[in-house]
Amino acid sequence: MTTLSANSAERKPLIKSRALRRFLSHKLALIGTIMVLTLTFACFVGPYLLPYDELYIDLMSRFAPPGTNGHLFGTDPLGRDIAARLFHAGQISMAVGFAVMIIATCIGSVIGVISGYYGGAVSAVLMRVVDAFLSFPSVFLLLALAAFIQPGPVMIALIISATSWMEVARIVEAEVKSLRNQDFVQAAHMLGLSNRWIMFRELLPNAIGPIIVAATLTVARAILLEAYISFLGYGIQPPLPSWGNMLNGAQQYLATAPWLAIVPGVAITIAVAGFNFIGDGLRDAFDSRSDLG
Amino acid sequence: MTDEKKNSAHLNRRQALMMMGAAGAALMTPMAIGRDKAFAANADATGQLVLAFSQEPTVFNPLMPHIEVDEGLYYAVYDTLFDFDPDGEFFPILAAEVPTVANGGISADGLNWTLKLKEGVTWHDGTPFTSEDVKFSLELTVDPDFRSFRSTGYKLMQDITVVSDTELTWTMSEPFAPMAAILASTYIVPKHVFDGVEDKNATILNTAPIGTGPFKFKNRMAGDHIELEANADYHMDGPFLKTLIIKYVPDLNVMYTQFKSGDIDVIGLQYITPDHLAEAEGLEGKEVTVAGTATFESIGLNMTRPQFQEKAVRQALYLAIDKTSIIDALYYGVPTPTETYMPQQSYYYNDDLPTHEFNIEKANALLDEAGWEMGSDGIRTKDGVRLYFSNSTTAGNHLREQAQQFIQQTFAMIGVEMTIKNFPPAVMWGDYWMNSEFDTVVVGLNTLAGADPDTSDYFMSTMSPALGGSGQNTFAYQNPKVDELLTAGAQNFVPEERKAIYEEMQAVIREDLPFLPMFQYAVVKGWKDDVTGPTPNVNNRIDSWNVRDWKRT
Amino acid sequence: MARYLLSRLGQSLILLFIVSFIGFAVLTLAPGGPLSQFALSPGMTQEQIDKIASQMGLDRPVVVQYFDWLSHLVIGDWGTSYRDGQSVLHVIGSHLFATLLLMGTATVISVTLGSSIGIYSALRRGGAFDYTMTVFAMVALSIPTFWFGLIAIYIFSLNLGWLPAGNMYTVGDGSVLDYISHLIMPATVLALVDVAIWSRYMRTSTLNVVNQDFVRTAKAKGLTGRRVLFKHIVGNSLVPMITLAGLQLPMVLGGALVTETVFTWPGMGRLFLDSLGYSDYPVVMGLLMASAMLVLVGNLLADITVALIDPRIRLD
Repeated sequence: MTTLSANSAERKPLIKSRALRRFLSHKLALIGTIMVLTLTFACFVGPYLLPYDELYIDLMSRFAPPGTNGHLFGTDPLGRDIAARLFHAGQISMAVGFAVMIIATCIGSVIGVISGYYGGAVSAVLMRVVDAFLSFPSVFLLLALAAFIQPGPVMIALIISATSWMEVARIVEAEVKSLRNQDFVQAAHMLGLSNRWIMFRELLPNAIGPIIVAATLTVARAILLEAYISFLGYGIQPPLPSWGNMLNGAQQYLATAPWLAIVPGVAITIAVAGFNFIGDGLRDAFDSRSDLG
Repeated sequence: MTDEKKNSAHLNRRQALMMMGAAGAALMTPMAIGRDKAFAANADATGQLVLAFSQEPTVFNPLMPHIEVDEGLYYAVYDTLFDFDPDGEFFPILAAEVPTVANGGISADGLNWTLKLKEGVTWHDGTPFTSEDVKFSLELTVDPDFRSFRSTGYKLMQDITVVSDTELTWTMSEPFAPMAAILASTYIVPKHVFDGVEDKNATILNTAPIGTGPFKFKNRMAGDHIELEANADYHMDGPFLKTLIIKYVPDLNVMYTQFKSGDIDVIGLQYITPDHLAEAEGLEGKEVTVAGTATFESIGLNMTRPQFQEKAVRQALYLAIDKTSIIDALYYGVPTPTETYMPQQSYYYNDDLPTHEFNIEKANALLDEAGWEMGSDGIRTKDGVRLYFSNSTTAGNHLREQAQQFIQQTFAMIGVEMTIKNFPPAVMWGDYWMNSEFDTVVVGLNTLAGADPDTSDYFMSTMSPALGGSGQNTFAYQNPKVDELLTAGAQNFVPEERKAIYEEMQAVIREDLPFLPMFQYAVVKGWKDDVTGPTPNVNNRIDSWNVRDWKRT
Repeated sequence: MARYLLSRLGQSLILLFIVSFIGFAVLTLAPGGPLSQFALSPGMTQEQIDKIASQMGLDRPVVVQYFDWLSHLVIGDWGTSYRDGQSVLHVIGSHLFATLLLMGTATVISVTLGSSIGIYSALRRGGAFDYTMTVFAMVALSIPTFWFGLIAIYIFSLNLGWLPAGNMYTVGDGSVLDYISHLIMPATVLALVDVAIWSRYMRTSTLNVVNQDFVRTAKAKGLTGRRVLFKHIVGNSLVPMITLAGLQLPMVLGGALVTETVFTWPGMGRLFLDSLGYSDYPVVMGLLMASAMLVLVGNLLADITVALIDPRIRLD
């Protein structure tokens, strides 16, 4: 056991530092990191700097264009400050994104590692379940589920998670399958370590690179999906703002108050692009072959 | 190109203004509406007209469960026996005359009915229309194997007897004054298409409807439009259009844009959104008008909830609604404030009800006086009951959601916390609504059948599903006085006496406030100025009620 | 090969069974239902609603309803739409053309544009064009499609007035030109994401081919750049693209849904939303099954085609 730990301990820092070095030299990834950090900062600190409350309704100042009366991004049809709503919405949308990442990664990892480790019938059944979920077009499943529950942030995160864990499961399964016959696993068996220990302490950490990449991209995907279903009116409900539901109804005012549509859309794009850039950088960083490219 | 277009639009406008005068005259004299073919030979049906709806008509058998927009098609393809004109007066369609106590069509006790039909009417497929078709249609509504839209009223009809091809009689098991209004919205279907059909729910009417109406069904492009063509043998004056296209445009903005650009001739159901009213009124070559509907918007209270047991609470809530701001700002002043469920155009409308005022101080004083004490969290409490409740409506109705959030803010000023809990339509109006599982709702209701003032389904204490009844009294409102008035009104056939009964009832309900009335809906209708005929009619659910009279000039 | 196909087919059927059961359960167990849309009609009573529900068999246990539905599906009867009273296949069929037109156009745009960008990027790897396109692809994948559609409408319909804001054609016109003017915006918006995906995959695929021996051999034999490009590189890099195309099939419905909503396009995406709104379960289930089948068929076709084209892959 000592040898094993030493072995992995020896391997990990090496990969880590190399990965980190590569990640930092990846321009897009750095830009992505800056985008995400800036946006996060704005969403969590911004509300304290603004003179307006995100829920305060003032019918006298409806549809104020950006810049009027200290309304940085203008006001909405109820005269609420869009900047304040945007930042609060960002907290909610990003929280949903991260919640989905955690839930989906956990489910995916567990299913993937079990399937890859045991192989055979277990794998066949679990991977068919993965296939079944993949053959549901995710937007369809999301809408069908969201139409019949009371859609709060928690439920929306759970629903999106239900359609987002399959990729992680596949990645982990492939990785674990390729590792399970290697020497250190055989050794662990001989040392009498439990299956659970081998799966989660020995095998899973080896797949950590691809898992992190998939997790980062899951955040991006979750933010997009939340926007989709909220835009269609099945997502997070007002008065609680989310980037998606701020867009819901904006189409109606496209001609008269285009900023209602433009502002949240730009925020979504920045957030999603940021996470995608980071994911891309991480992929290159963890993938030794990318030196070629 | 653009100039040319403008010029022609201008010419049309001038011509149309002259035509509008004629249409206005038609509106003044109910006699001119729905004239019999005998009055004038049919002018040649010419031109095409595109009527747009924001929902898609899909149910083509009018006796099966359907929604408002489906009736948009029914008025073109089918006929009723008689119908309401904008003044609430009946005019005959398939009937030779509208049965009344005065003309002997209805016996003095309201139990025996005699109906005389027009001669020489044919179905679109050439089969003659007879009283057998009427008998069949009426009996179909209570057929246990048929998926019938409703059975209210019909189930009281007994011994429907065909006297001749143009005459039938029946008796009522009890006097029921709203029966005529129900008949006015009963479209007659052809008996012969049901011959030999095993499943009455699956006839040709579902896909290619056959009626006696002014237009024949030609084809349907699902998800897009329905094409209808003039019925040359129509039994009344009209139709004056060769082709009528009912277009489905699912988005109100796109619909308005297409109306503006001229792709749509008449903008129908869901109409022009209120925020476009000012712009629409300035459009060249278009007629735009605001018309009241029979639907009233209110905040409905679930009267079984402990929070709403005291009248003082309900009155305080009513005082804390800034109705004027909601109507003027959010709805651009289009709807009319109201104190009752009865449309203001109705003969039975009580115009003497106390007027609402928005007064936070008074509301607070009322609650203080009633012993509701403000808690440390800013919410009032009395005897362990907190003034905390949810409010629900259809998710996605933007204007309503805006109003909801605004009311939330003013309610907070009187120590009331209202949370918003909206659902998609299928959930909202399912058991949640029918079995009174809500605390409060924002709902637009039309409680009337045509111009008849009976609303027993909604306000009779025995009509609440939550209290073991089977009607639509989802507010679970119970008041013996109201029950008494409703019973008296349904058995009375004299309009003047009924008016007194229903005016008293409106006063009682206004005092009780089982719902907080907000406004009577009005919609912004529009059509090209070379179109004549579209006429608002508060007694019908949809614009095409007189499509037989529509013309292009 | 035959054995492989049979086992794949068997697996697919089991998958369809799981998918259909989950879908059916979600729809029928949820509150509300197809009759709630009539609740606000004047004169509608709970009694009447209950009667209609029982006539339609909606009051039976979910499992009974499911197997009833399934047993009809097996013999090719997809059920009857609650809303239309027409057969589900007919309803879906009548919305098929609009979606195929939109998806077809978008696919043509994305395949030609995406492949060209991908090949060019690969051949000029590391250059300014390659780098720009990499960033473009990432950004394109990050823009919400519906929002891109809204912005396009804002610019090209509302401000410039060049293109219609929605619908498939003008009633009473319907000429080819009319269709095209309605088609441009939604097809381009829809193609944006796919161009990004295709260009990325094509780039990788081309890179793999370029580095292979036979290309080097061909060049060594003195073949000119253009001939090498078209005969060897393009042909061979397209093989993996077939797999991708197969995997993209399910997007036909999912991707169209949002675009069709924004542009009020009368296709299957809108049909799905409308049917969901009216709780028209038979149609919703039909669309769900159709798209699940597309996914499975797409996967299978991709596997088979690749096996037929590429002798290195054997299906066992």
